[in-house]
Amino acid sequence: MLHVFGINLVFAINLSSEIRSVMQRVPSEVLMFLCHVSLPGVTFSRIAATLILFSHVSAVRGAPFPDDHALAILQTRCIECHEGSAAESGIELEGLVSKKLETRLELLNLIEEQVFFETMPPHDAEPLTETERESVLSWTASELKRHGASRLREKLRRPEYGNYVDHQSLFSGDYVDLPGYTPNRRWLISEFIFDAKINRMLDYQGVRTIDGIRQDVHGDHGVNLGTRFGGQSVRQSITNPFLLPSTIGVRYYSHEALTGGHLLTMVSNAKKIARYMTTESTLKKHYASMYGLLKLEFQQREKLERRGRFLASHIEFLLRENFGDRHDAMLPPFVSVEVDDPPQVTNGDGSPRLETNLGLLDRFDDDDLDAIYLGMGLYDRDDRSLDAVIRRCEERWFYRGVHPKRIENRVSIMKVLHTNWDIDLIKEDIQKKKIVPPEFHPLEEEEMEVIHAAIRENRQQGDNFQQVIDRCMRRWADDNSAELERISQVTDVELHAVMEELYRKIFERSPTADEIREGQDLARSYMTRLDRQKAFAKLIESLILSSEFAYRTEFGQGERDEYGRQMMSPRDASYALAYALHDHGPDQELQQAAREGRLETPADYRREVERMLANVDQFTVIDETVQKSGFNASVTDQPIRKIRFFREFFGYPKAMTVFKDDARFGAGRHDGTVGRLVDEADMLVAYILEEDQNVFEELLTTDRFYVFHSGDSREMQRASDRLREIYDYFRQYEWQTFDEEQLYQHWPFIKKMEMRGTVFADFETNDRRRRDWVRSFKRTMESLELRLGKGQENAMPYDELPMAYWHRGNATGRTGQVMRAHEVTTYFNIDYRDWDYPAVQPAIVPNRKGILTHPAWLIAHSLNTETDPVRRGKWIREKLLAGTVPDVPITVDAVVPEDPHRTLRDRLAAKTSETYCWQCHQKMDPLGLPFESYDDFGRFRVQERLEHEENLLATAKEAALVEGIQVDVYKTLPVVTEGEINGFDEPGTVGKVRDAFELVERLGNSSRVRQSMIRHAFRFFLGRNERLSDSRTLMDAEQAYLESGGSFDAVIVSLLSSDSFIYRKPVEN
Amino acid sequence: MALNRRAFTKTTALGATSLALSPSFRHLLASPEVDEFVKPQRFVFIRKSNGNVPKYCTLPSLSAEDKKRDEKKEAFEVDLHGHELPAWLQGLEPHKDNMTLLHGISMAVSGGGHYSFSGCMGAYKAGRNTLSGIKRATVDFELARLFPSPFQHVELSLASGSGRVEFRNGIVSGFSAPAPHQRNYCYADPQTAYNELFKSVTNTNEVASDNALLNYLHEQEKRRLAGLDGDERKKISDQVDSIQAIRQRNAEVAALGEVISNHLPNLDEIHKDGGPNATLLQKQEAFTEILIAALMTGLTHVVTYTIDDLGTPITTLPANRGKIDLHRLGHNAGHDQELRDAVKQSHMTQVEKIVRRLKSVPEGDGTMFDRTTVIYMPETGAGHHGPDTEAPMVVMSGDKTRLDIQGRYIRLPFHGTEGHQTLSNWYTTLLNAYGNPVSHYGDLDLEMTRKRRRQEGAIKRFLTA
Repeated sequence: MLHVFGINLVFAINLSSEIRSVMQRVPSEVLMFLCHVSLPGVTFSRIAATLILFSHVSAVRGAPFPDDHALAILQTRCIECHEGSAAESGIELEGLVSKKLETRLELLNLIEEQVFFETMPPHDAEPLTETERESVLSWTASELKRHGASRLREKLRRPEYGNYVDHQSLFSGDYVDLPGYTPNRRWLISEFIFDAKINRMLDYQGVRTIDGIRQDVHGDHGVNLGTRFGGQSVRQSITNPFLLPSTIGVRYYSHEALTGGHLLTMVSNAKKIARYMTTESTLKKHYASMYGLLKLEFQQREKLERRGRFLASHIEFLLRENFGDRHDAMLPPFVSVEVDDPPQVTNGDGSPRLETNLGLLDRFDDDDLDAIYLGMGLYDRDDRSLDAVIRRCEERWFYRGVHPKRIENRVSIMKVLHTNWDIDLIKEDIQKKKIVPPEFHPLEEEEMEVIHAAIRENRQQGDNFQQVIDRCMRRWADDNSAELERISQVTDVELHAVMEELYRKIFERSPTADEIREGQDLARSYMTRLDRQKAFAKLIESLILSSEFAYRTEFGQGERDEYGRQMMSPRDASYALAYALHDHGPDQELQQAAREGRLETPADYRREVERMLANVDQFTVIDETVQKSGFNASVTDQPIRKIRFFREFFGYPKAMTVFKDDARFGAGRHDGTVGRLVDEADMLVAYILEEDQNVFEELLTTDRFYVFHSGDSREMQRASDRLREIYDYFRQYEWQTFDEEQLYQHWPFIKKMEMRGTVFADFETNDRRRRDWVRSFKRTMESLELRLGKGQENAMPYDELPMAYWHRGNATGRTGQVMRAHEVTTYFNIDYRDWDYPAVQPAIVPNRKGILTHPAWLIAHSLNTETDPVRRGKWIREKLLAGTVPDVPITVDAVVPEDPHRTLRDRLAAKTSETYCWQCHQKMDPLGLPFESYDDFGRFRVQERLEHEENLLATAKEAALVEGIQVDVYKTLPVVTEGEINGFDEPGTVGKVRDAFELVERLGNSSRVRQSMIRHAFRFFLGRNERLSDSRTLMDAEQAYLESGGSFDAVIVSLLSSDSFIYRKPVEN
Repeated sequence: MALNRRAFTKTTALGATSLALSPSFRHLLASPEVDEFVKPQRFVFIRKSNGNVPKYCTLPSLSAEDKKRDEKKEAFEVDLHGHELPAWLQGLEPHKDNMTLLHGISMAVSGGGHYSFSGCMGAYKAGRNTLSGIKRATVDFELARLFPSPFQHVELSLASGSGRVEFRNGIVSGFSAPAPHQRNYCYADPQTAYNELFKSVTNTNEVASDNALLNYLHEQEKRRLAGLDGDERKKISDQVDSIQAIRQRNAEVAALGEVISNHLPNLDEIHKDGGPNATLLQKQEAFTEILIAALMTGLTHVVTYTIDDLGTPITTLPANRGKIDLHRLGHNAGHDQELRDAVKQSHMTQVEKIVRRLKSVPEGDGTMFDRTTVIYMPETGAGHHGPDTEAPMVVMSGDKTRLDIQGRYIRLPFHGTEGHQTLSNWYTTLLNAYGNPVSHYGDLDLEMTRKRRRQEGAIKRFLTA
C-alpha cells in the first residue's frame, strides 16, 4: 500500500501503466485516507486532488460531458457570483455546457486551478467539502485531458511548481528503492546552445584579452556589440527564438516544445546562415565538396569581376585606344547640372565661420568624397576658378555615367567645401591622401584581346563609359552561362559528399543512407529552379529547419533492466554531459569516450564530469549584457553552467531590468552603475565556487564582498599605489597655486605616471589637448587629498574626472578596459570619495551577510520605487525552504495601500493581516520583512524615508552628501526588522528572528535549505522536476556535499552520474 | 469594453506566454476573436529623429490666450478649422479634417538622448539597444496581431543604425520587436523591400523552391511522428502544424497574386543594388510607394517606417545647401529652423501621399483611408537630446478609426502634473480602442510615480463609445 501511495506522490505524471492500473482499482476514498494518515504535514486535500486529477481520471475517461454531480456543485457553489454580465472577474459560468469548445476549456481550466490550489470559493464563502472537490476535479480533469488542454498539468511540470512534491518524503529515505530514471525525451535547445551553434555555423569566434592574453572565448555572440567593437553583422542579424523565460529560478526545462514562432524566426535565420555558408570564401575554407561543384562558376565570376574592375579603372584609356580619333565624336553630348551656391555660414559677429574638423567629412558618402578628392587633385590648379574645376569634374563624372542626381550632389558638396570649410585644410588633406587615378597595367595578352574585342563590338554611338562596360559584362555573363550549361550533371557521389559535409557541420554526425538519398533528390529538385549556389543554400536551409536542429535528444539504448530502463545512448550521453556544464557540444575526449564504449557505467560518467569540472583552460563570457554595461569583464574560466545555476537561482542579474529613478539613486546614473554591481556579484559567486568549500553556507552568510574590484587584487593594488605615488609626489609642492608653466615643470613625472591627457601623442603640441589641463590636475589632487589625506592606507583606484575612462592609468578590469562606475560603492553605503580602499578583495563590508544582502539581489527583488518584502519572502520560501505559495487569487487586488505617514511594513500589514490574506502571506512576509534593513537600492538603513511630497524636508540640491549620495530628504520612521522562519520543523532554524543577519545565519545552518538548494540543482541539471523515484539521487547528492566539506562540484558529479540522469525509459501516453 | 483575462490572453502577446517567442505571423496560430474587427484597421508609424520641437509644431494663428497657454504648456484644445498650419505642414491642408496635432504626451518612459531604438515603440528604455533591453512586444506588433495579414508587420527603414552617416541596404536589424528580447528585421532599401514583399509575383522560382522546401520538411517531420506518444508526440506534431501553417500562409499570398500584380509599384532603376545613387527624396518616395502597395494588397496592415535617424544622409536634400547632417542639425537647433522644416516637410510630402492615395481606393462604402491611422512621431521627444517630457506628434486618421481626436490641436497636461499622459497611456489607448483590453501597456513614468500621480490606463477622452 505504501508503495502504491508513494508512486502516487510522484504526481503520476510518469506513472507506469502497471501502477496506474493498480491505482485505478483502488477506491479514491481509500487512497485519500492513506495519504492523510501516512504523511502528516502534507496537505491532505492537495494530494487527494492530485490523485484524482492524474490517476482516477482514466476511470472516468469515457464520462460524457456534462457530469451531473459536478455541475450541481458548480450550480450551488459558484454560479451565484459567476453569472450574467456582472459575473465576478468577468468569468461567467452560466450555460457552461453549451459554450463553444474553446471557451468551455478555458473555463474548465480556471475552475480546475482555482479548486486545486484552493483559492476558490473565496475566503468569505463556505469551503468545498473534500467530496465536492473530488467531484469537480475529476470532472474537469477528465474533460481537459480528453482535449489535451489541461493547463494545471502543464503547470505542475514547470520548475516553479516543483516544490509540490513533498520535501520530507524526498529526503526521508522511504523511497530510495524506487528506481530513478528520466523519460526518453527531446529537449529544446536553450538560447545559449542556439547561440553556440550559430557561432559554429557562421565561423564566429569571440576573442577577448583576458589578464593580458588575447584568447578565444565562448559565450560571445557578437549580438550586443557594434561592429566597431568586434560585432559581426551576419551574426547580429540572427534572431534567437529559443529565449528562456526571464523569471528568477531554473529557466531551462525539457517540457518546452517548438512553436510556430520558433519556425518562423528560423525560416528567416536559415536563409541568412545558408547565404553565409555558400559564399565563395566560406565554401573554399570549409566545404571542399560544395566548393568543388561550384569552382567553375566561381572562376568565371572572378574572371568577370576582374574584367569589370579593370574596365572601371581604365575604360577611357581603352576606348581611346580602340577608337582613336573617333572616340570624342562617339561620346554623348555633355549636360551640365545646375546647383545653387550654398549660403555662407557666419559667426555671431557676421564673420565667415569655416569648418576645420575633417572628421565631419564622414557625413559624406565615401565614394563621392573620393571622387571629389580625385577630381580636385587632378584639376584644381592655381589658375583655375572653382567653376572651371567643377566643370572638369562634372565632365569626368558625366562621361563615366555617374547618375545626374549624384553628380548634382557632388557638385554641391564641392561648393560647400569651398564656401564653408577651410579649403586650404581640405587641399592639404587631398595632398596627404594622394588619391590618383590607377596606373594602367595591362592584363594578360589573351585577356586583353578579349577585352578589346568586346569593347569594339559593344560600344555604340552616344554611349557613356558605364554603358559600354555594362554591355561587355552582360555579354561575358551570357557566355559563362552557356558554358555552365554544357558541363555535366552533378553525380550522386558528389552530392553524397556534400550531404556528409553539411550533416557534419549542422548536426555533428554523418547522414544515414536514407538521409543521403533524400538529400540528393532534394538538391536536384532545387537545381531545376535555382543556380547551383542557391540550390545548395536551399539545401542548407532544409537541414537547419529540421526539428533535429532545434531539439537535443536523450534516448535510451540497449538492453532494458528489470525496471524497464535503458542506459542513455553513448552519443546522447556525450551531449547530455557536455550541455550539463557548457553550451557547446562534447569536446574531443568526450566524443572519443562515446565512440570507444567508455560511457556505459556511472563511473564513466563520473570520470568525464570530473575531468570537465577540472578543466579551467577555457574562458566563457558570463553575460554579454553585463559586459556591455560599462565594459565590465564578466568572464569566467569555470564551466559556465555552474555559475549560471546560481545566477538563475538567486536571480540577482535581474537587478539590471528593474528601472530606478536616478534622482532617488543620488549618485549619478543607476543604469550605468548597476551592471558593475551584477558583475561583482558574479565574481563573488565565482570566487566561492572556486574555493568549493561549504558553498551553500558561504553564499548565504559570507561577510566578504567585491566592491569596485576586478577580481585581481594585485592589479587593484598597483592602481591604488599609482595614485598614492602621484599624491605623495605633489603634496610636497604648493600644487593648489600651480599655473600651467609650473605644472609643466613636472612633465617627466606626469608623463611617467600617464596622468590625464598624456595618452595623446600630440598633447605637448596641440593646445586643444591641454585645455583645462591645470584645472583638471587640481581637481585630481583635491580628490586624492580626500582619498588619502585622512591617513587612509589605499586610495580607491578611480579617476575623478569625467570621461576619465578614455585615459590610461586607471585601474583596468580583467579584459583590459578601464573600470567604470565607481559609484557602485554607494549601494554598500560607502562614499567612494574617501573610502580607505581594500585592494585585496573580497573584503569585509559592514552590515552585509551573504548574497541576500548583496544590493544586486535586493534590487532584483524590489519594485521601481519601493522594497518588496513579499517577493523577497516568497523567494526564500520557495528557493531555500522548498515551500509552496499559491498563485495570487484572481479576486485579490494585490496593491499595498498608500499612506505617507506609515512605513511599508505597516502598510503591508494593514493589507495582509486579514485571515484570508494571511494564510498565504504568513509564508512570505515574515521572511521578507527583515530585509527592510535595506532600501530598494540595497542600501543599509535604520530609518525608512517616507517619500511623499508632504514629508519633504529638503530637496536633493539642499541636502548634504551622505554615504556618497545626495537625495531629497524626507521625514523618516525607524525600520522594524523582526521576522520569523516558520512552516516546517527544524530545531534551531525555525522561530522568530531579530533581523536579516540572524535570518541568513539560521538559513545558512539549515539542512532544509541545503536540501532545497540541491533540489533546485537537480532541476537545473536534469531539466525536469524531481519525483519520489529521484529520492536516492537527491539524498546521494546531499551526502556527496556533506562528505566533501560542502563541494558543489561533488553535487554536480553525484547528480550527473545518478540513475536519474543515466537511465531512460520510453514515454507513455 | 469588458476587460477579462480570457480576452486579454487572446489578444495580447503579453498574456500569451506560449506565443511569447513568436516573432511574426502569430496570427497563424490565433485568429481575432471579435467579429467587428474583421475589417482591418491599418496603422502606419513614421519615426523621425531629432525630436519635434514643440514651438515649431504649434499653430501660428492661435489666439493670444491660447498662445499663452501653449507656451505655459497648459492643457487646451482647438479646432483646426479656421487655423493656419505651420508652413511645413501645409501640404496636409486638404486633409485637415483627419489631422490631429497632439501635444503633451511624454516619452520619459522610453527616454530622450540621441536614440530610443525600440523603446519609443514599446514604451520602455531600450538601453544601448541590447537584446536584453527589449522589454516587450512593441505596440505596432501588438496592433498587427489584432488585424492578421500574410506579412503581419512590415518595417521599412532609412536609419543608418550605426551612428555613421550612411544609407544601409538589404535586410537589417529593425527597431520594432515582436516579443521581449527579440529584434525585428527591416528592409533598408526600396529594392529589397520590393523583392521580398512582392516576390510571389516577381520571383516565382524562388517561391517555388521555398514551397518545395516546406513540402519536404512537412513530410520529414510527419514521418518522425510514427511511434511517438504523449508529450514527445506533441513536440513534433507542433512542428508539423507550424510548417503547415506557413504553407497555408504562402498559399494565401499566392492567392493574392492578381491583387499584387495590380498594385505592384513601379520602382526606378536607380534603386537597383541597394540604390547607391538614389537621393534621400528618391528613397523616401520609393519606400512610400512600396508602403502604399503593401497596404493596398493586404499583405500587411501595419507598417513602421523609420524615415530617419541621426545617421540618415540628408546631404542630397535640396534645401540642405550647407550639406550638414542630421546630427549637426540637431545641435544647431536654433540656427537651422529652415532646414529642420525642410526635413519635416519632406516627411509630410510622404504622409500626404499615403493619405491621398489611400483615399483614392474605394473600400466598402468609403475609402481605404477610412480605416487608416498614420502616426508621425519623434523617437526621442522634443529635441535632439530631448527633453523627453514632450513629444509632439501628427496623427492622420480616417473616419472609421476609433479615436476621437480628428481635426484638432490638442495639448494635454504637462509631464508630472495631474492628468498627464505618457507614451504608455497613448499606446494603451490605441490598443484598447482596437480590441486589446490590456489595462496598461508600457512602463510607468518614474516622476509620475514619485509624485504619486495617476498614470495607468488609456486616455479615456480619446476613446469613442
